[in-house]
Amino acid sequence: MDEEPERAKRWEGGYERTWEVLKEDESGSLKASVEDILFQAKRKRVSEGHGQVRLGMMRHLFVIIDSSRSMEDQDLRPNRLTSTLKLMEFFVEEYFDQNPISQIGIITTKNKRAEKLTDLAGNPKKHLAALKKAVDSTCVGEPSLYNSLNVAMQTLKHMPAHTSKEILVIFSSLTTCDPANIYELIKTLNALKIRVSVIGLSAEVRVCTILTRETGGSYNVILDESHFKELLMLHVKPPPASSSSECSLIRMGFPQHVIASMSDQDAKPSFSMSHLDSTGEPGLTLGGYYCPQCRAKYTELPVECKVCGLTLVSAPHLARSFHHLFPLEAFQETPLEEYEGERFCEACQGELKDKSVFTCLACKKVFCVECDLFIHDTLHCCPGCMQTDRTS
Amino acid sequence: MIPKLCYFLKLLVFIILNNLILKLKLNIDGLLVYFPYDYIYPEQYSYMLELKRTLDAKGHGVLEMPSGTGKTISLLSLIVAYQKAYPLEVTKLVYCSRTVPEIEKVVEELRKLMDYYTKQTEAKNDFLALALSSRKNLCIHPEVSALRFGKEVDGKCHSLTASYIRAQHHSNPSQPVCQFYEEFDAVGRQVPIPPGIYNLDDLKDFGRRKGWCPYFLARYAILHANIVVYSYHYLLDPKIADLVSKELAKKSVVVFDEAHNIDNVCIDSMSVNITRRTLDRCQTNVETLQNTISRIKETDAAKLREEYSRLVEGLKEANVARETDMYLSNPVLPDEILQEAVPGSIRTAEHFVGFMKRFLEYLKARLRIHHVVQESAPQFLKDIYEKVCIDRKPLRFCAERLRSLLRTLEIADIADFSAITLISHFATLVSTYSKGFTIIIEPFEDRTPTIANPVLHFSCMDPSIAIKPVFGRFQSVIITSGTLSPLDIYPRILDFRPVTVASFTMTLARTCLCPLIVGRGNDQVAMTSKFETREDFAVIRNYGNLLLEMSAIVPDGIVAFFTSYIYMENIVASWYEQGILENIQRNKLIFIETQDAAETSMALEKYQEACENGRGAILLSVARGKVSEGIDFVHHYGRAVIMFGVPYVYTQSRILKARLEYLRDQFQIRENDFLTFDAMRHAAQCVGRAIRGKTDYGLMIFADKRYARADKRGKLPRWIQEHLTDGSLNLTIDETVQLGKHFLRQMAQPFRQEDQLGLSLLTLEQLQSEDMLQKIAQIAQQA
Repeated sequence: MDEEPERAKRWEGGYERTWEVLKEDESGSLKASVEDILFQAKRKRVSEGHGQVRLGMMRHLFVIIDSSRSMEDQDLRPNRLTSTLKLMEFFVEEYFDQNPISQIGIITTKNKRAEKLTDLAGNPKKHLAALKKAVDSTCVGEPSLYNSLNVAMQTLKHMPAHTSKEILVIFSSLTTCDPANIYELIKTLNALKIRVSVIGLSAEVRVCTILTRETGGSYNVILDESHFKELLMLHVKPPPASSSSECSLIRMGFPQHVIASMSDQDAKPSFSMSHLDSTGEPGLTLGGYYCPQCRAKYTELPVECKVCGLTLVSAPHLARSFHHLFPLEAFQETPLEEYEGERFCEACQGELKDKSVFTCLACKKVFCVECDLFIHDTLHCCPGCMQTDRTS
Repeated sequence: MIPKLCYFLKLLVFIILNNLILKLKLNIDGLLVYFPYDYIYPEQYSYMLELKRTLDAKGHGVLEMPSGTGKTISLLSLIVAYQKAYPLEVTKLVYCSRTVPEIEKVVEELRKLMDYYTKQTEAKNDFLALALSSRKNLCIHPEVSALRFGKEVDGKCHSLTASYIRAQHHSNPSQPVCQFYEEFDAVGRQVPIPPGIYNLDDLKDFGRRKGWCPYFLARYAILHANIVVYSYHYLLDPKIADLVSKELAKKSVVVFDEAHNIDNVCIDSMSVNITRRTLDRCQTNVETLQNTISRIKETDAAKLREEYSRLVEGLKEANVARETDMYLSNPVLPDEILQEAVPGSIRTAEHFVGFMKRFLEYLKARLRIHHVVQESAPQFLKDIYEKVCIDRKPLRFCAERLRSLLRTLEIADIADFSAITLISHFATLVSTYSKGFTIIIEPFEDRTPTIANPVLHFSCMDPSIAIKPVFGRFQSVIITSGTLSPLDIYPRILDFRPVTVASFTMTLARTCLCPLIVGRGNDQVAMTSKFETREDFAVIRNYGNLLLEMSAIVPDGIVAFFTSYIYMENIVASWYEQGILENIQRNKLIFIETQDAAETSMALEKYQEACENGRGAILLSVARGKVSEGIDFVHHYGRAVIMFGVPYVYTQSRILKARLEYLRDQFQIRENDFLTFDAMRHAAQCVGRAIRGKTDYGLMIFADKRYARADKRGKLPRWIQEHLTDGSLNLTIDETVQLGKHFLRQMAQPFRQEDQLGLSLLTLEQLQSEDMLQKIAQIAQQA
């Protein structure tokens, strides 16, 4: 009944009380400043994880996207669903970029049901296509946390013990419609060592707090779109492996790309094995990657061989995940007042205005907060050190 | 300053020496206080300072501090430290709480404190602390304790332990007695109960081990215990206080916790309501008495003669009053009881029964009316004298005389005689007090004017009558609660002079409470539960929309309070017709508090389950109901509280009107002031249910535009007012949703203990820093 008026009053409900944010910063030290706490958390994230931790590099991740009625809420632009799917596309790309030997699958839940959008697979293309298509779907009914976790669990429980089994839930609704006691399911998930993390889009829900605490995942609630993105990016980095996970050697194939030139008369166009499960047009191609074990042909990497089940990757892929093992050391933080020297950031050349500045311990160059985060999250190497390396 | 610094230094050195110790030792104004936690909230420190000053001055205090900030432990650690330091100044702490779970909580805190003491001082602890409750909670007799109602347990216990029963048992061993009491009576008194902390279960265990009755053991032990924890009634209700608390030393400190309703407890303990059913049952009682008397007369006439002669001599308590016999006691305060012999007209048993009959008939006649009668006690006495020639004096002895008779007749099962007991209490009260009481006889209830249901209310209007002996007798009385605002009104209505009156705020590392006043709907129609507009369709719809919108943005549990059951029923029915309920149910389940206790506790249980497993739920309940007073909605059980309307009392009630008039004449408190005060304390109590600690958070939504007025807003506790900004005074539903969403997202961000440290949680070093001490000084606001 209130569907129509809601749309009409868009201009009314939409205004943001930006002055509230300002006020909290100014007020005395007793007044809480959530922003400040958040900033500390941000820093902490960068500084932690530098010990010798074993990381679960081989990940099987199911992302559960809530597509219930509440996803139509317009507090993210243009609405929660579109915004989420857009960020998810970015996430999938980033995920495969940083975790080349991992797999992802997508589940949606609406109308008390859970549905697999894509199965676990190591190639981003299919996922991206599915995500693009999902934008047009309607959001109806309540989500079911139980059903969607169950769907994910059915697949994940067959995964080998040395992989990191994870579920990431993007949960917009504040209610869930479950067919059975979810606490039993949480116990099972815990026994199967499946880590469940939740990103809430509206507020803290008790059952998610328990779910994440019991299974060792993280639970965050977004403040706005940029915070959402930040939280999502946290899940790009491989989580520390639990000490009980097995170690084992994994067979992998590094196929060479064979380029058959058009001039070569012997070359015959052939199908790629990956067309088997793709609904798209099976194109005939000349060259490709050939599985070193069974000689099946693939046009893209990384992929799991359909014939012999060997994981096929390229060496550069594997190298990309290298930085997780040898991360860039945290920069030293000094308050701005104590810092003496030129007041501009080495990276962005902007003026240093924040409360504190960050110094690289190796090259003694100074950076601002934003650049510090960028260097640690994205670049993974200090531009200052690179420069000195080159010049010397 | 210098000696203080020296002391700090000494303390520091001491701490360095004992650097393994984590817990705190504080210096509160020169008193060494052991505090059994690693950290302390600044307001706790401030609270203890004020408390210390009150004790030093040997005066009374009114202290308001929000719940969840550790009131109990602050009180206990300071008073125990004070007791240890000045054993002659303060000999006993009497801690009064409201319910059994609360009593248990206090004892657990005390145990923690005492463990810390023993660890620190390594001396044998000689402290005795115990909880006391009714027989129902303490009985270990296999048959008696199986009974369900408190009254039955009391009656059965009495029938096993009364002195004449025991005497009969002596001659006739087949007469059953309680072996636990026998055992206790034989040896229990000589052997003191070993020092330690006893909650109700500990007492029962101890009793079982020794084979002693825990109830009588506890009642005996409170005389020499250092700390006693029990219910309000043991001090305030003269019927019980006389039995239990008569011999408590003057140098005791009395604490009333959760005391925001103390005036009502006082009033209830002195008021009597008589219905026609009471009179009918009383009639049966009188007949039973008569039959018993005539039977005894044939068999054992000497007994009656003996009683008579005893009464002639004025020895009311001719038998050495045994504790087990003192089942009934005088309803009036000790200093009002006449110390003389029972008047001749009711001395013999038959005469007394005849007297009671006459009185009963008179009351019956009074109840046969068709219009409301209100009169004062002297008027009533005059009337009764004219109509049935009953004098004031014998009436005053009614309760006393009945007690004596029941004992003489050796009636074991006293529970059946509750009706005649009630009538005799009424007789004694009405003839003792001429001021502060009123008699109202109503032929029917206001809401059902066609059904005749006459009630005689003998209503106490002055809470200070019941509490006056407490203030007079004990050297320090502390009244404390989370919601006592406005602070100045309590000393006035309870008629005492406090030395400290202070309100403390909650220091927070993040603003975890968000009070919002919603005054308008999205259509700009004012939202209010004002009588004229409460039937207004637009208001009801707007209330519905508010709940609907909130149900979509608030996670887990929402508790909504209405002003009365009837109002709730009307609104919910109307929501159902408008389809609002259906829409709400898509977001959350709905549970409703009813007047039936069993039904309500069932609803509450299911409500909590729904909050727990993520479905989300709304509890619709009523201010002043069971839910609004005793039940905490921690964390996810209450993320938002919505108060629909201002919970004024039913102002048409004649009892209330009489009380208001009395307050105006006696204490110069205007009607409106008192009504607003009463409404606001209940509103604060309701919304306060959501915040039960510093890590908790919740929205507090006041859905009535009248809350925005200064006279209402100003009567909220300071810790709520502080967060009520001008921007959140007259919001529309839309704005509320926006603010609520923002708040809930902020609060969902991770929050760790380190974030609190230094701001709202202090270590000893932080506490001693100069600027922190200054800040602490601002926390307490003297009223």
